[in-house]
Order: sequence, then structure tokens, then C-alpha cells
Amino acid sequence: MSDTMDETVETMFIQHFQEESRPLAYYLKSMDGYKTVKKAFGMSQDDIIGEMKKSWLRGRGGASFPTGTKWGFIPKQSPKPKYLVCNADESEPGTFKDRDIMRYTPHLLIEGMVIGGFAIGAHVGYIYIRGEYAREAKLLDEAIDEAYEAGYLGKNILGSGFDFDLTVHRGAGAYICGEETALLNSLEGKRGEPRVKPPFPAQAGAFGGPTIVNNVETLASVPFIIKNGGDWYAKLGKLEKSGGTRLFCVSGHVKKPGVYEFASGSVTLRQIIYEHCHGILGDKKLKAVIPGGSSAPVLTADEIDVIADIEPMSKIGTMLGSAAIVVISEDYCIVKLLRRIAHFYAHESCGQCTPCREGTRWMWDIIERIEAGHGRDQDLQLLLDITENVGMKTLCALGDAAAGPVASFVKKFRADFEAHIRGGKCPNA
Amino acid sequence: MPKCIIDGREAEFKPGENIIEVAKRVGVEIPVFCYHPGLTVVAQCRMCAVEIEKNPKLQTACSTPAAEGMVVHTTTPKVVQNQKAIMEFLLINHPLDCPICDKSGECDLQDNSYKFGSPYSRYTEERRTYLDLDMGPVIKKNMNRCIHCTRCIRFGDEIAGIHEMVAVKRGNWTEITTLNSKELTTEYAGNYADICPTGSLTLKDFRFKKRSWFLKKTATVCEGCSRGCNIEVQEDGNTIYRCIARENLEVNKYWICDEGRFNYHYVHDSARVLEPATKGATAASLTSTTWEQGLEVARNVSAGKKVVFLVGSDLTLEEGQQILDFAKSKYTSAPVYHFGTPTVKTTQEDGEADPILKMKSKTSNLNGMEKLGIKPFDPSFTGAEVAIVFRGGRAKLPELKSMKRIGVGVFNLPQVESYEAILPSLSFVEKSGTIINFQGKEQKLKPAIRPLGQSKAIAEILMVWANGGKKA
Repeated sequence: MSDTMDETVETMFIQHFQEESRPLAYYLKSMDGYKTVKKAFGMSQDDIIGEMKKSWLRGRGGASFPTGTKWGFIPKQSPKPKYLVCNADESEPGTFKDRDIMRYTPHLLIEGMVIGGFAIGAHVGYIYIRGEYAREAKLLDEAIDEAYEAGYLGKNILGSGFDFDLTVHRGAGAYICGEETALLNSLEGKRGEPRVKPPFPAQAGAFGGPTIVNNVETLASVPFIIKNGGDWYAKLGKLEKSGGTRLFCVSGHVKKPGVYEFASGSVTLRQIIYEHCHGILGDKKLKAVIPGGSSAPVLTADEIDVIADIEPMSKIGTMLGSAAIVVISEDYCIVKLLRRIAHFYAHESCGQCTPCREGTRWMWDIIERIEAGHGRDQDLQLLLDITENVGMKTLCALGDAAAGPVASFVKKFRADFEAHIRGGKCPNA
Repeated sequence: MPKCIIDGREAEFKPGENIIEVAKRVGVEIPVFCYHPGLTVVAQCRMCAVEIEKNPKLQTACSTPAAEGMVVHTTTPKVVQNQKAIMEFLLINHPLDCPICDKSGECDLQDNSYKFGSPYSRYTEERRTYLDLDMGPVIKKNMNRCIHCTRCIRFGDEIAGIHEMVAVKRGNWTEITTLNSKELTTEYAGNYADICPTGSLTLKDFRFKKRSWFLKKTATVCEGCSRGCNIEVQEDGNTIYRCIARENLEVNKYWICDEGRFNYHYVHDSARVLEPATKGATAASLTSTTWEQGLEVARNVSAGKKVVFLVGSDLTLEEGQQILDFAKSKYTSAPVYHFGTPTVKTTQEDGEADPILKMKSKTSNLNGMEKLGIKPFDPSFTGAEVAIVFRGGRAKLPELKSMKRIGVGVFNLPQVESYEAILPSLSFVEKSGTIINFQGKEQKLKPAIRPLGQSKAIAEILMVWANGGKKA
């Protein structure tokens, strides 16, 4: 799929993203399947978590929290069972990398989860997968069956004395269930609403037990780290505190959209768009880039020389998020795009906390009005005020996710909004 | 005790206490909507967000426990801006129909709007509206006024033990309703109205009857069962309009049952006997008369006869003692028994009728009657020709075969048609006195209204009974 890696670095995932890679036989033969879990059983829990910390693997779901540190939060002793939950909700618009991992290398995820379960002392794991991924849920179920049959799941795995059961749980199609505590509520059969934190899941998560929730790509990276060592993984990354390779999902107006794998911190947005994705459709000019899923503040065409990694993105006021890059060409209406994004967040707000419940709908209403030619001059300031009142004020991060795009679109493309308000229609139309 | 600082005031706290409660103790009020001390904390309304030093984000005071050395600010520009924003968010879809809303005057949304809101609205979109289904006989719902605090849902789940209030749909379209749109079934439904911070859930019983600011409020105790829940009786023009729960963490926490809440209605019942009434020599039914004649009939019926005194366990300790004294001094050999709940004759037989508040004894002072040494009445008793029955209003009247009857207290006419005389006395909201609940806790009744009709205190009736009349 991609020939994009630095010659000296192996890609970990992408060469396996092909239909024949799915079955257990391929995993055992071509990916050293389930050898690493054997190695892990020979290590202490602290050693495994130590390697994870050294690796600087940072959560691939969007928050970029160091995985080893997260695992370290799990108490050694717990009166309640511990759980390892894989967040396969992959609901951030523009993101589709976890789907490929589950579709093509499900055993990589399973092995990662067994190692993770062993490291934190959990004997039960769940893969919470978004409802729309019906095909992937079926593939995972088949892979899990294979793994049980071959003795990689279940009681006394490979004679280690360690038991680990794994179940696929399908969501019902809510973005908010990608938020880890809403995910846990949904897993428990409750309404998918985020919980008040603290307590964090590591103290009281699924069914009240200490719980780690990790993204698919995060868990699928674990076998590589334990196999080759944390230092090896950390060095794959080109920047401090950001190890390994990372899957990027490029969509929108590029000639070659898709999933790409690059060493962390090794490429700029410009390189991704113009070198690897072969530029903008129809060779038009670039208008804007959403660099990390739809909740990441938007970048203008002048801002794409930034290295596509966690810290550099954060420095310029946006985020790498789930590494979902949405490219927008010059002839696309930016107001229409923001209206679509605002609609999404209004639709996906769970509705429990005030600023998000009321603010997301209000922002959507205003933007829709502007797009329809009924905007007023004061609307833009009102929109910015609402983003201030929603951002950092909500119970979970959805409020920030909804406010970020609105504030950045209005600030960076104010002229487009003003043209809609004054002219009553899109100047490009 | 560890200490923190709230708005410059040093505050001691017990580990685990949240900032709202600690602040309250040192006189700092933090506005809330979803927080209720009797329910779990959900931190949903975001109104209580405060600034905590060394923390870049505002923190909700309800969900943040106080910590040693914590420095909290509740009036900084950041906090005030958030309060203003929350008020704006809560009001953009609120109908602002305060002039015709029963909650008006005692509404958290209204009060906090006055204190923290803006006088101007920037909202020009169409307001969100809902259709409301009937929720049964107790609660009237108006979803358009709802601010989604979920107190009602949590009350049902956590206190009433019934999952009947639920949130359906999502986000801005979230609707708080009953499960499958059914009517409420809990016997504690009135609390939904007490805890609703807006006019979304109001009492049908109180609907459009009175503006809340005209109500005079009296802190007293419910007489509905032997728990003795603390209540507030609210009246205007000597008419009671409503009873609501009053906090007492040792007895009823923040709640009362519907039976207790609506129990007061008998006080104003048109069938209540409010004038002395007697059966004349010829009349077949009770007829109103004067106090002098009423008492004369009572004296004549009981004079020289074998008399038994029956004391309702819905009466106060003081009344019980007055009756004992009267029986001893005027009817030397007469026995005195208590009655109230036929199935619960002693405190040993009393117990919880449900896991929430209700007790089996449907009268308030069974414990007190036992403390006075009064024994329960046995319905097979036949050792008297005349029964003098004292009753507060709740005690179930025993069957009294082959005895002439005189009633002193609160009666409805159909209950006492066979009585020789009725001397009207005071209900629990018209008098003061002491009752002892099942826990042994002495609690005080306070008069909320003046005695209705010609009813008089038992002490006064007995005084005239003993000392008045024709001189021998």
C-alpha cells in the first residue's frame, strides 16, 4: 500500500495490510505470531511495564498519553477483578486506521491484549468495537475463536498458568462511546455517558474494577515493543518522547488518500500531502488541513510545514489527535464544512452537561443560518463567545472537541464567513 | 482536622467532603443545580465550577473533595464568567414562563438567574419544545422548563428504588421522561417536585392554587406513621396549601412519602366535625350544638357508668398525660387504653413497612403512649358501658360493641354517626406538643394554622368538663 518509509526503518503494520494476512497461519509464519507473548510470560509485570515506559509509545486514540505510564497506574492488588479494554470505537471523523489493523492483522491485537492483560494482572479483556464495524467485529470473533482453539486465549495460555478471556462487544453507534468512561458505561449496559473523573478507570473502571482502556493501534504495537525492546521502539521515533511508527489516515481532496505509516516525527504535513499523497485533486490550491481528526483545530495552507507529530502540532495550537488528516481544496466551502462538523458534534453530544448539550446545538444553528444566507455581523463574535464558554468547561473532552474547530475556522477563515454573511451566499458557489 | 481556604476563609473539613459542603459551613454559597446532598454527584450542570489554585481548569465544587492546603476562589472573573455562561445556556431553551409557573418564587433557576445571569438574551434561534405525557396523579410535568439536572432520575434510582425516570434520546434532544412513558408508580413521587430545581416537575395537588411567596411556613413533624418525618407546612389565610419535606438526616434525610405529604387534606375536609354535636333525646343523628350543651351531654352519658378511656396513639404526650390525669381524678376506676393501627398494637410489632421511610404503625406516637404506661386496647373488651374516645385524626377507630360513645378530637361525620356526642379538638397542624418516634426521638409539633371552626384543645375541653356544668 505504501512505499513511504525511510529506507533504514521497517514498517510494522502496513506491509501486512492485505487479505491473506488475516488468518492465524499467516500471523504465525510471517509475523512471528505469539512468540512475543511467550517471551512476556518469562518477564515480570514490572519489566513489561518498564519496557512500555521506555518505548515512549503514546496513546494512538487521540490523547497521546504515554501507555507505559497509564499501565503503571493499575494497583498491584485489587479486591475487584481488573480489566483490559480495547477501544475500537474509532469514531473520530477522518480516522480509519484501526479498522485496517482489525481487518488485516487481528491476531496482532489479540497478542497485544494478552501481553497487556498479563502486565496489569487482568484476566478478562473486551474489545469495544463501533457498531458500524460489523465486518471487523465478525473477523475479530473468528480470530478470537482461532486463538482459543490454538491455546493463545483461555485457561493456562501456553502453559504459563495465566488465564485470559477476550470478548468482542459491539457499540450501537455513538461517538461519545469512544470516550473511555462512556465506553465503560456502554460496556456495562448503561447509557453511554462519560463519568465524572476522578476516579479514573485505573482505580475504578469497568464494573468498578481497575481498568486500562487502550486504542487498537496502541495495543497492536505492544508485541513489537516487547519483542524488540522499549529502547528500540523509542528510537524509531525521530523526536523525543514520541516512539515508534504511526498510522496516518489521509482523506479529502488528495490524489491518493489512504492509510500511511511513518516513523513518529519523520514527516511534515506538506510531505504527506504533496509527496506521499501526490498533491491536491485536480492540482488545485490547498485551502485548509484538519490535521488530527475533526476535533483538531484547522490549519491554513501556510501552516503545513509543521512536523506531523504530537509536540510540534501542539506548539502551533492544534493536535495530532488520531492522526486523521483531512485535506480541503480551495473550491470547497469552508462554512459548509464547519456546518457539517458542528452538526456532528451537536448530534453526538451525550447531553448530560450543560455547556455541551446547549452549546453544540447553538453553534450548529448559527453556522447553519450563516450558510443559508441569514447570518448577521454579530454572529461571529457570538460563535467565538460560545466556544469560550464550552471549551474546557465540560465534563468530558467532547466540549473541547466541538469548540476547537468552530473557533479555529472562524478565526482563520473569517473572510469566508463574512462573505457569507454580507453576500447572503457562498462566494465560491 | 485538615484545613483548606475558601475565599480567604479558613475551613476545616472531614476527609472526603466536597467543596460545596465545606464552603457552606464558612458562609460561602456556591450555586448549584444538579448537586443534591442526598444524591450521587454527577457534575453535570457545571454551575458550581470554582477556581482552585495551581489548577488551570475550573473544577466543579460538587465533585472535588476538599484537600489539605487547597486554596479555592469562588468569585474570580473566570468563575463568574462560567456562571454567566451556564445561566445563558440553561435559559436559551427555557420558556421563561415564570408568571404562570408554580415554581416561581422558590425556583433555583430563577434565583440563580437573578444572581448570576445576564438581563439580555443573545438567542434568536427557535426554542426547543417537547410534548408532555401524563405522569399520573401526583406530578405534572413540563419538559420545556427542564434543565436536565437528572436529580429526578437519581432520586428514583437511589432513594425510591425504582428506575422510572429516565433520559431518552441524546444531546440537545435529550428528554427526561418516564420509562416507556408510563405513569409514576412510586409512593414517594412528591419528592420529584421537591427536588426539581425548576418548574419541570410540580405537584398536581398544588397546581395553580397559590403563589409560593404568599405561603407562611411552619417547621413541624408528620403524623403519618411512627417515623415522624420532618416537614414544613405551608399556609395562607389559615388554609394549608402544601406540605414539603424538611431535612433531618437522622429521621427522614430529605424525603417524605406521598401519604404523609397529602395527609393534611383531612384537616380541611368538609365532613370534619368542627362544632360540638350531640344526639338529642329524640334525634337519630348528630346535630350541632353549643359547647355547654355538648359537654352537658358528655357528662350525663358518662355519669355513674362504667367508663373506658380510649386514647389515639396519634395524640401528643401532653394530651395523653392530660387524659390520664382526667381519668384518674374524675373516673377513678376507669381503665385507659390506646388505639391507632389495628395490626400494630405495640412498638415490638412496629417495624419498617418499606425499605425507605414508611413504618407499619400508621400513627405517630405509639412509642409515646407506651412511655406513658398506656396499654393497647383489645377489641374484645366489654368491661364498660361508655367509651370516651380521644383521637387526633389518624388513629383507626375501634369497633365498640354495646358501648355508648363520646368522641373528643378530630372526626369525620360518617365515622361517628353512632356517637352520643362529639367535642371537636385539634389536628396535628393546629396544636403544639411532643411525639416520640420509633427511634425514641422526641419531636415537637408546632401549630401552622389557628384552630378551625369551634375546635378546642383537649386540655381546655377536659378542664371545662371537670369543673363546669350544674353545681351539685
